[in-house]
Amino acid sequence: MIPKMMKFLAALLLMVFPASAIAADAVKMKHVLSIYADSKGGGMKNPEGVACGPGSAVIVADTGNGRLLKFSVQDKNLSGGEEITLPEGVAPIRLQVNAKGEILVLDGKQRRILRLNPDGTFNAIFSPEGLATTTPVIPRSFKLDSADNVYLDDIFSGRIIVTDPAGKFLRQIEFPKDSRFISDLAVDQRGTIFILDSIKSVVYSAGPSDTSFSPLTKDLDKSVTFPVAMSLDAQGVLYLADEHGSGIVVIQRDGTVQGRLLTSGWKEGQLRYPDQICFNGKEEAFVADRENSRVQMFDVLR
Amino acid sequence: MNARYKVMLLCVMIALCIPALAPAQAAKFKLKPGAQGKICLDCHTAFPEKLKNPFIHTPVKGGECIGCHNPHAARYGKMLSELSSDICRKCHGGIVPEKALSKHKVVADGECMKCHDPHAAKNKFNLLLPVSDLCVSCHKTMGEAIAKAKFRHAPVEKGCLNCHDPHAAANAPFLLKEAAPGLCLKCHRTDKPSFASRHMNYPVERAQCTSCHDPHGSDRGALLYNNVHQPMGNRMCSQCHAEPNSPTPFATKKQGYELCRACHSSMVNEALGKNKLHWPLVSKAGCTSCHSPHAAKEAMLLKGSQLVVCGKCHEDAIERQKRSLAKHPPVLEGNCTACHSPHSSDSAFLLNQASIVDLCGSCHDWLKHSTHPIGPKVVDPRNKNLTVTCLSCHRSHGSEYKRMAYYAEMNDQCVQCHELMKR
Repeated sequence: MIPKMMKFLAALLLMVFPASAIAADAVKMKHVLSIYADSKGGGMKNPEGVACGPGSAVIVADTGNGRLLKFSVQDKNLSGGEEITLPEGVAPIRLQVNAKGEILVLDGKQRRILRLNPDGTFNAIFSPEGLATTTPVIPRSFKLDSADNVYLDDIFSGRIIVTDPAGKFLRQIEFPKDSRFISDLAVDQRGTIFILDSIKSVVYSAGPSDTSFSPLTKDLDKSVTFPVAMSLDAQGVLYLADEHGSGIVVIQRDGTVQGRLLTSGWKEGQLRYPDQICFNGKEEAFVADRENSRVQMFDVLR
Repeated sequence: MNARYKVMLLCVMIALCIPALAPAQAAKFKLKPGAQGKICLDCHTAFPEKLKNPFIHTPVKGGECIGCHNPHAARYGKMLSELSSDICRKCHGGIVPEKALSKHKVVADGECMKCHDPHAAKNKFNLLLPVSDLCVSCHKTMGEAIAKAKFRHAPVEKGCLNCHDPHAAANAPFLLKEAAPGLCLKCHRTDKPSFASRHMNYPVERAQCTSCHDPHGSDRGALLYNNVHQPMGNRMCSQCHAEPNSPTPFATKKQGYELCRACHSSMVNEALGKNKLHWPLVSKAGCTSCHSPHAAKEAMLLKGSQLVVCGKCHEDAIERQKRSLAKHPPVLEGNCTACHSPHSSDSAFLLNQASIVDLCGSCHDWLKHSTHPIGPKVVDPRNKNLTVTCLSCHRSHGSEYKRMAYYAEMNDQCVQCHELMKR
């Protein structure tokens, strides 16, 4: 009787375990709120970037208005919306906030990174130091890791440059030879770098000690239209903002596609030309919904 | 056993097998003795005339009608016993190398009879037309360009198959028998002093000949493409490249757009000064993402038509138009720059006008006299940050529905904003 029961239990475990493993990775996004305006009611215009800061801070790159907006989201309630004025002529397109609360802003017009103090005042232009060549560095995107090291997507020389928080060169990895256009990157807690090829619809990855990238995914052509931005959640799941497809595509850690989330449209919870995505570590995601001129907040459900 | 004998042995075996199959087929249909290849002609009386052609398909010659056709009933047209492509593949299976780098679309689609007559023809290989006529019957634009060209490449005049394999190429693009420069060097000697001097002593025998020369024909001497980059036309290769005797003679003096900026400074500076940049301009390939640095068929040294160049990355936009019920003429005609500024812009989507309404109105002049309220003063009821523009109701690269609308029914479209009218 006992062996029979053991066999039954073992079979049950075998059946249940993989199912629970898959279920743990299956992600959904549920709309919580949408952010349309600053604290004075001034509407956003084509925001392309959003960063989740330490604590409850959410910084928005209000690209069309050439400014940043600082919000706070606590227990699903939105407050703040103070404007952070940027130097004239800056078109903020991607943001990151480091552990000190400093805001790093990619200026799409002058293709450089600005470092702002936590209060939003201008600090310095971030420029990597100690590079082997003198060619210009043109970042299309950038990310920070958990130690605030900076990862630059340098499309001019076709490489990812890694620097310490002060900008001192640490290492670089060339883009894969067969890549077409690397629009964005992501870095996980182990230091694995992921890069997104928008045209080939492929994500490549390189481990902390790797010297080259290798494909993480197959050609994602059937799942995405033209992805431009990529972010990782705390579980290491990748989210691609499918700009032309107006949706989010979820990629599991092993490179398999979980599926598409959200649809194209004007209603809340729908997207039109989404761009940067950020996660605040509380299973909450913020998406720059560019052509709807708003930022939307979602609960990440697993 | 050497290769020659192996091939001969294989031919003998095939020759032995074909007649051996015939009795088997005849037995399958229990044909009367002597009926093989003759009984069909009792009804198909025009067929003997066809058989007077000089080139007859081997099974037809052997009276093997039932090798391809079922005399009683068939699932496929022309009473074919299988899909025509499957029938052809049974004997001609090796015609496409495994992992071929390029395949002729008709071959890949199994449309053998687009080129071959399965019974008999006046042309070798049972081709429907002489080779070159046959090729240009589909490749019309190419045929017209060759016919008009002042100078034609001699092998082209002798026939396309001098350079191309009509079915597939194992290791070369464009069905070429061998990739350039290998193919070119079979005829063109590079060891002559004149060759070196014409190429400013650059070791072009290692380069891609077709980056400057049109392999079919052109109006310019030396078969250069009709549009030549000025420094190349003036033989000033070293304006952009390292010296020919350097260890890396083809290396450019600067990288990406920085090289082009030396001459095209005002254009590059203007492009880089706008709010939104077409990012490939500042990528590693820079201007050469879209432009040929040496010579091109297309004006502005574009690497191809706008549909080709833009479509290389923005395939989704081109495909959307193809699927669209209504065709937006600028996209259909491949005139992307009618709406978009290819280098940079201050407007969203790199549009060449700030206002979408004004942009659409430059062609759709009815916007100026009667339209649904649109423009900067008309707030979109769905979102106070948006105003109503043409794109609020129409998708510029097309949709599955009439008038490039987002919805199949007009009512569904209207009630997106006019919610109270929803029934």
